[in-house]
Amino acid sequence: MQIICISRGTFSGGKDLAEKLAERLGYACLSREEVIEAATKEGIPVGKLEMAMVRPGIFSQRLALERDHYLAFSTAYLCDKIMENDGLVYHGRTGHLLLSGVRHVLRVRVLADEEQRIRTVMQNLGLDRDKARKYIQEVDEDRKKWVHSMYGVAWEDAANYDVVINLAYISLDNAAAALMNVAQLPDFQMTPAAAKALEDLHLAARTRLALARDERTHWAGVKVRADRGVVTVTYLPQDAKVAEFIPAVCRNLPRLKEVRATMAMTNLLWIQEEFRPDSELYEQVVELATKWNAAVELIRLAPEGAPPNPEETLSVETAQEAAGPTFRQYNGGIEDEPSDPAADDGGLKSTLDQLAKVGKSGGGRVVYGGQHQLINAIDRTMPYTLVVIGEVFKSKGHAAMLRATRDLRNFLGDRIKAPAVTADELGSHYLFGKRDLVKAAVFLGATLLLYFLVFTHEEPILAFLAQTGWYAEAIKDTFLAKAHWGAGLLVSLVVFILVPIVAYFYGSVITAALKLIKME
Amino acid sequence: MVELLFGRFIEMNLFVALQVVVLGFIGGTLSGFIGSGGAFFMTPGMMNLGVPGVVAVGSNIAHKFGKAMMGSKKHGEYGNVDKRLALCMVVTSFIGIRLAVMINSALFGESGGHGEGGTAASNLYISMVFIFILSLVAISMLRDALKSDEEGGGPSMKIADFISKLNLPPYVNFKVANVRVSLWVVMICGLATGYLAGTIGVGGFIGVPSMIYIFGVPTAVAAGSELYLAMFMGAWGALNYAFEGFVDLRLTLLLYLGSLLGVYLGAYGVKVVKEVMIRVVTGLIILLCVLSRAVAVPMYLRQLEWLSINPDWDKYFNGASKGLLFFAGISGSLLILYHVIRGYRQRRRIRTTLIEAAAIPEAA
Repeated sequence: MQIICISRGTFSGGKDLAEKLAERLGYACLSREEVIEAATKEGIPVGKLEMAMVRPGIFSQRLALERDHYLAFSTAYLCDKIMENDGLVYHGRTGHLLLSGVRHVLRVRVLADEEQRIRTVMQNLGLDRDKARKYIQEVDEDRKKWVHSMYGVAWEDAANYDVVINLAYISLDNAAAALMNVAQLPDFQMTPAAAKALEDLHLAARTRLALARDERTHWAGVKVRADRGVVTVTYLPQDAKVAEFIPAVCRNLPRLKEVRATMAMTNLLWIQEEFRPDSELYEQVVELATKWNAAVELIRLAPEGAPPNPEETLSVETAQEAAGPTFRQYNGGIEDEPSDPAADDGGLKSTLDQLAKVGKSGGGRVVYGGQHQLINAIDRTMPYTLVVIGEVFKSKGHAAMLRATRDLRNFLGDRIKAPAVTADELGSHYLFGKRDLVKAAVFLGATLLLYFLVFTHEEPILAFLAQTGWYAEAIKDTFLAKAHWGAGLLVSLVVFILVPIVAYFYGSVITAALKLIKME
Repeated sequence: MVELLFGRFIEMNLFVALQVVVLGFIGGTLSGFIGSGGAFFMTPGMMNLGVPGVVAVGSNIAHKFGKAMMGSKKHGEYGNVDKRLALCMVVTSFIGIRLAVMINSALFGESGGHGEGGTAASNLYISMVFIFILSLVAISMLRDALKSDEEGGGPSMKIADFISKLNLPPYVNFKVANVRVSLWVVMICGLATGYLAGTIGVGGFIGVPSMIYIFGVPTAVAAGSELYLAMFMGAWGALNYAFEGFVDLRLTLLLYLGSLLGVYLGAYGVKVVKEVMIRVVTGLIILLCVLSRAVAVPMYLRQLEWLSINPDWDKYFNGASKGLLFFAGISGSLLILYHVIRGYRQRRRIRTTLIEAAAIPEAA
């Protein structure tokens, strides 16, 4: 079983390459155009979304819901096609981003010689050279904006792909042959863990789609996560009325075991290697989630490199043999993940259950590997308020673990639009502690002193600000008076320094007070 | 008219101080709710208390400097600040602010800055700019709110489309905002933003829409980048107005007492109120603030001897202007507080929202 996603620019030969590759591999071929057509029949205003994405302004709530609907539909459609066939070659913009969290997808970017593209456009669209060039530039620009708006990544960034093929220097046949060889590598064979991730993604997409299709829940801005048949639906407080309809709407979905609905304004993402609901960090995270009215999403970052299971290892040459009727049975390639993903979940399920009991569950999943696998699995359009990194990389020594954790924090902080903190930093930055009490007391004292001084010495201070009275007298024979700008310069410097100091002191007191009453 | 200390500062007593704190609180609540600095409320509010317009603008801009420093750090953590965009606008915004300070100072100094005549000219000028600009802002906001409710789409991008068709190199790529804009356009918008911030203390209502409508920047990035820019504009504005002697430190400190608390409540209110309602409420509050300024205009015209009316009527004009302004601010704040309290209670009532379906057998 294989999934190959080809990302193509306009008139770059990507479509032809995809079709040739699919033909050689004996796989189904699916184009973005087919998905768009189906989405339009579904009633999703794809054209309007495209316009809004490429010319962003104020993106209304209604359009944001249509975008969610489109993403859910496209994901479900793609997953349906994957499951109906032994292998699939998809060609479009960035189809692999619809399968976030599913590893072993071969991600290909196809480039072409610009001159060749211009000639193709001139021929096919009957445009002159300049207009053809401009057409290509505009379409490529629109695609970049679409990908950035939809997925939060750069379309043209090679780091988002496994293979970049430039058809300027390689023929279509040879490109297809090269990709066939790459596709046979064990790294791109579906494993049980990847199959599970795909099933979860499929279930989440179907659930979201069902909620979008039903009149009662159509206008609710919900986020859906699925893990082994347990679906977590997070909704906003203003959509509280829809909560009672969620189970009924989702009732008939295949593979659905349980539905959990959590009301939350935002999400916290908690990444850890092993979760324990009785840990101090769990208490801190729940406290924060309660304060911020957030759902807590868990990602278990499990290490790669578990020893392969010899009974399940198959040779690379047999990787192309058709798998059984369900892809769960396929174990091709060298195993780098546990064969039964559910066996040891590192406390994920029990922690999710505890979170569900307090109404804070945002769903959870397992990601195997390091920071690159992690970032590929995270939905970068999700508006997380905070990312908490607990104990990870436990197999390393203590110093190496600390270093790796800090690196991960910085890595995620650069790529996700949310602050990332380690477990140690969580308490000091976001929860009220002794340090905050001392800081608040000191700043309160300083603030009171400043206000007292200003309001008990109004007249001399105003004279200074107006550059008259005692101040004019005092600087009369100095260089400040001789340079006509001198008097004003001193006043402006004093104001420039004093004002932010007052703002900082008083602002810190207010922040500490709100933290204390958990209204921050 | 209130007697001014050193020809420019109002006498401060407990009652006046409390009013300034309340102005700061309401301005802060509205600013947290709307995402602007709150100057559209605080500047005219201080003018209603007898503070000369130029001192109201100067004190407010100094207050904005400190507040923007605190706020932009948070926005930066969420990746919503395009520093390159902000810094491209900052140079011309500084020119705009300097120009505004020069004009305001010149108008204030017309009659030696003492008594009615001197302050009336700058008060009138500030009020007229305020009325003109904020009317446009309020009307377009209300129109967009109604349009987005009907059609489900965002506002028109005609301006951005028109500008993108003009060939005005050099162009600059702004990575975080994900747009490519002519540097000339950015600099002109910077100049306009700075000029208006320096004249009436309102920068966000110009800077944010210009980033969205003219550059095509996403809303969150526009808000974050404008706040980052506001930090520099506030600093430069504070330096310039203090240099001319128009910053009343007492007013700035009193505004902080209310605004730094109010902004949290306003920000919380955003989470529990629907987007369309936010835009409608904002538009209506701004329109009322505009109306309150318009009511004060005859008073300034009389003081400049351009209009012949009974001087005793000044207190009625000022009273009506103040009443309208406080009505707008208090009703807006109460509406926000109502939703905040309701949202807080709803959270407590629906604390546990676990809804478990009965175990559903897998479909065949």
